Amino acid sequence: MAHTVAAELELESHEAAADDRVMFGFWVYLMTDLLMFAVLFAVYAVLHGNTAGGPAGNELFSKPLALTETLLLLTSSFTCGLGMIAARRGNKAQVLSWFMVTFLLGLTFLGLELREFSQLIHEGHTLSSSAFLSSFFVLVGTHGLHITSGLLWMGTTLVFVKKRGLNRHMVRKLSLLSLFWHFLDIVWIFIFTVVYLMAFV
Amino acid sequence: MKEFLIGRLTRHALPHEWFTIGGTAAFVLMAVFVIAILTWTKRWRWLWNEWLTSVDPKKIGIMYFLVAGFMLVRGGLDAIMMWLQQAISVDGAHGYLTADHFQQIFTAHGNIMVFFVAMGFIFGLINYIVPLQIGARDLASPFLNTLGFWLYVAGVIMVNLFFVLGGEYAATGWLAIAPLSGIDFSPGVGVDYWIWSLQISGIGTTLGGINFIMTILKMRAPGMTLWKMPMFTWGSLCSMVMAVMVFPLLTATLFLLFFDRYFGAHFFTALGGGDPMMYTNLIWMWGHPEVYILVLPAFGVFAEVVTTFSRKRIASYTSCVLAMIGVSVFALSVWLHHFFTMGAGANVNAFFGVMTMVIAVPTSVLFLVWVATMHKGRIRFDTPMLWFLGFVAVFTIGGLAGVVLAVPPADFQLHNSLFLVAHFHSNVIGGVLFGIFAGITYWFPKITGFKLNERIGRYAFWCWIVGFCMSFIPMYILGFMGATRRLDHYESSTGYQPFYVLMLIGGIIIAIGVALQIVQVIASIIQKKRDTTGDPWDGRTLEWASASAPPFYNFSSIPQVTSRDAFWEMKQQGLPAKKYEDIHMPTNTASGIYIAAFAFLAGFAFVWHINWLVVVSIIGIIAVAIARTFNEHTEYTITAKEVKKIEEDRQAKVSAYRTKDNRPDMGLWEFIMVVLKFFLDAVRSKRWRTR
Amino acid sequence: MSKKQHTNTSSNGEHGTTSSYVVGFILSLVFTFVPYYLVTGHVLSGSALLATILVFAVLQMLVQIIFFLHLGRERKPRWNLIFFIQTVAVILLVVVASLWIMHHLHYNMTPVTREDASKKLIEDEGIGQIGGEKTGACIGTHTTHKVIIKDGRVSPVHTDAKACDMLTFINEDDATREMTFGTHPHHGVYAGESELSVRKGRPQSITLSETGTYQFHDHLDADAAGTFTVEP
Repeated sequence: MAHTVAAELELESHEAAADDRVMFGFWVYLMTDLLMFAVLFAVYAVLHGNTAGGPAGNELFSKPLALTETLLLLTSSFTCGLGMIAARRGNKAQVLSWFMVTFLLGLTFLGLELREFSQLIHEGHTLSSSAFLSSFFVLVGTHGLHITSGLLWMGTTLVFVKKRGLNRHMVRKLSLLSLFWHFLDIVWIFIFTVVYLMAFV
Repeated sequence: MKEFLIGRLTRHALPHEWFTIGGTAAFVLMAVFVIAILTWTKRWRWLWNEWLTSVDPKKIGIMYFLVAGFMLVRGGLDAIMMWLQQAISVDGAHGYLTADHFQQIFTAHGNIMVFFVAMGFIFGLINYIVPLQIGARDLASPFLNTLGFWLYVAGVIMVNLFFVLGGEYAATGWLAIAPLSGIDFSPGVGVDYWIWSLQISGIGTTLGGINFIMTILKMRAPGMTLWKMPMFTWGSLCSMVMAVMVFPLLTATLFLLFFDRYFGAHFFTALGGGDPMMYTNLIWMWGHPEVYILVLPAFGVFAEVVTTFSRKRIASYTSCVLAMIGVSVFALSVWLHHFFTMGAGANVNAFFGVMTMVIAVPTSVLFLVWVATMHKGRIRFDTPMLWFLGFVAVFTIGGLAGVVLAVPPADFQLHNSLFLVAHFHSNVIGGVLFGIFAGITYWFPKITGFKLNERIGRYAFWCWIVGFCMSFIPMYILGFMGATRRLDHYESSTGYQPFYVLMLIGGIIIAIGVALQIVQVIASIIQKKRDTTGDPWDGRTLEWASASAPPFYNFSSIPQVTSRDAFWEMKQQGLPAKKYEDIHMPTNTASGIYIAAFAFLAGFAFVWHINWLVVVSIIGIIAVAIARTFNEHTEYTITAKEVKKIEEDRQAKVSAYRTKDNRPDMGLWEFIMVVLKFFLDAVRSKRWRTR
Repeated sequence: MSKKQHTNTSSNGEHGTTSSYVVGFILSLVFTFVPYYLVTGHVLSGSALLATILVFAVLQMLVQIIFFLHLGRERKPRWNLIFFIQTVAVILLVVVASLWIMHHLHYNMTPVTREDASKKLIEDEGIGQIGGEKTGACIGTHTTHKVIIKDGRVSPVHTDAKACDMLTFINEDDATREMTFGTHPHHGVYAGESELSVRKGRPQSITLSETGTYQFHDHLDADAAGTFTVEP
């Protein structure tokens, strides 16, 4: 019996060390993602004035829409954090509800962004119209793609939590997911400022 | 309908020029040969289970070596083709290569050597050696490790695929500067192959970098603080931190170029508001740190080699480590020296020129520390030490040339001349490649369990040094004479031809050196001079505490570390008694292969605009990733009893080998005789006929 | 031996409390609305406004880093914090250096006609003034005067020119001529030139940027001499 207890404890500390490594590794991955966004921001900063005779940001963007999207994403980041607190307490029901709210807020954000894009394209302002529009669509679109991956990740994780319950593996998954989600909101702060607000400065 | 199914693939994409037909034939023959052997020896299952799905960094390391070695031959062939062309294409003669083909060759040569040879060997070394040096059993994420390797292989296949389908590679130079690489000026598939081979393997590198950082920072043996780590581990850590900082920049830039070509965006186009100079800026922001990423692990290898073969502690551990960190910090602030002539003006050029010169300081500190280590040491001139000395000579020349180029007014004369080409080859060959050779020859006994054939190794080394000097010293002179790089034809009045001919001869001598290296490896294995102690060089660092070759779990019990040169300390104190404990090892996985296969298909689909395949591949990647991450059973346990049995079996086997194997190394002639005898026996014996 | 409720002490010490998230949320809302109303309400403008909204963006980022991501509360060694600071440093380098470099490149490399380029350089870098004082810089193309030396004789012996015209020495003899200014054996300097090596088939030119009357001769053959007058 003592052997089994010792072996279990040893496995625990082994797994705790593994979790620690994974969280750190994911953090480093987020740093690389940040750097990739940095290039897209640098390109936007250099090229946003090159409208090739076409419209600039202040003629195309809607400030209220940008604010709405910002508030949606910020709130979803907040609810995600509340979901994590529930996860650490092992409260499966609360985890599911808070993350559902996060998911819906994120989905609404994505819907609004897709609508904005399709409206622009419908009016003839596409990625190939000018360097400004290329950098706008790629910067904001890459963020949108990340949001989509995050929603997909969230959806599948919630399904697994519902089926398998809230074990250590699932809590770790949710921690990584919430790191990702918070990080996406931080990147959005800069998109909101540099793309949408700066267009009207 | 056909366009929907196969995009822009047409019959015309199949090989129809001499080199595409030749290349395809070569690949097909090699594939048939491998398939035949595997089928005949019934080793398919073994290959899949033991090697392809393995997450053991030792096996992954060896696979990296094999692929990188194969690409070294391919890249070297490119070099010989260029030298040959340049030696004969004078005045009326135009050589045997068209200008466009020549441009594709130098582009492919650069990409292959940097991305697939150098990065491949470096990742192989780090994979194999770093866990052993820090007393770990595996990397932090075995899954990311295998995934990174297979993404690298996908890139390798992509960069060779144009022989079979497409017929053209990028003809833009190894960094595909815009707007030449845009869709207007490079409408074919060549640049698309370029983009995707680098993109896929680049993501593999980023993941590998994250993995190595996690491992080095979080999985060191108890007692091994950062300031007790071995030098190779330090070099690898600095290199990988730089890698995760700058590879994302490459990923972003490649995506932007892809958007220009695929969706008609205007990032780097000449019209529509695009800014091609931004491409040059971004790509070199990645490109310069990349060469330091390659050289820092090589510096680590040299530090190990110089201490072991001088039988001394390193002269100043702190200076060495701080210098490595200094190099990696400054490496991020010099990139503009690649485009002094693009027109940023005096102030900008001055800043970057000064920073470039500054980076010579920590590099020199490293040199001084290593040479000081040799001082009053008892030096053995085994092959690894020879490579170190070769490095000192060659890299110094290259480094001094670099300081000349760092001065903007001088660079205005020398930019894109052969002086530049000689400079970076001196540094990459003298630094990175010699470092790789030193590392492979140093750790060869550990990896294979056999001692190295020193005799043939010396022949190989001298061929390399003589060949290198013959190829690259004339190149410096040609640069001063005004020869530009990438010249496929010139007038005899320039006076270049004698130098080009000399360079070709040097290249052939280098090729002989490479052949001799391959012979050295085979001869070492034939001789079977086994390394029975695990410590053939009287080493100082932990990897020598394991057996040669180490068991899959590396150490039966993780050693306790109390100082630098941990193994040296252990030998002085007396090696600790063997302890046995339960070991948790990761299971094999095929998820890495599947994801990489889908990534390859996605890249292929992008190249040929096969949209449905793009969608399917991306869904495939996501599906496999989800399946993998929700798989909770990724480890298994070996009990202490089982470990004890494995160790005891191994001991029994080892004592059966001759412990004192001082037979002289076989020479070249003896090797040829042995190989001939092997083939004659195989032909004469009836075994293969009645199988 | 239930492991279900195991609390994960992750390396970034994510022991968030509800209050920390609420505080972070409220601060973030403030840091979102303030710059928004600064822009829509036209309270500030220009670079002051730009700097202000960027500051608020950085502040909100810090709020979220601290309150949502709990950076800095991990156990030592604080690898997450170290990597974050390093990443921020590299990002600043990438963005700021790119803007600086591209700005300089655009300034120097924007395609213009030669006239405009010269004017721009003269104005920006203060080499000379147009329509004001003349500092000696010559712009634009003017007349070229040819001086031919054949059989040791100079023709024309005297040249009249206007300021900023060009004077070209053409040597039709086989011997190389070393043209210099002043009278032999005294040598002078004109407009920065002291000696011009003129070979057959390779004429040399000077810009007549100094007004006055000057002499020139071949240093090797003093009889080959002439004069020129430059009027403003």
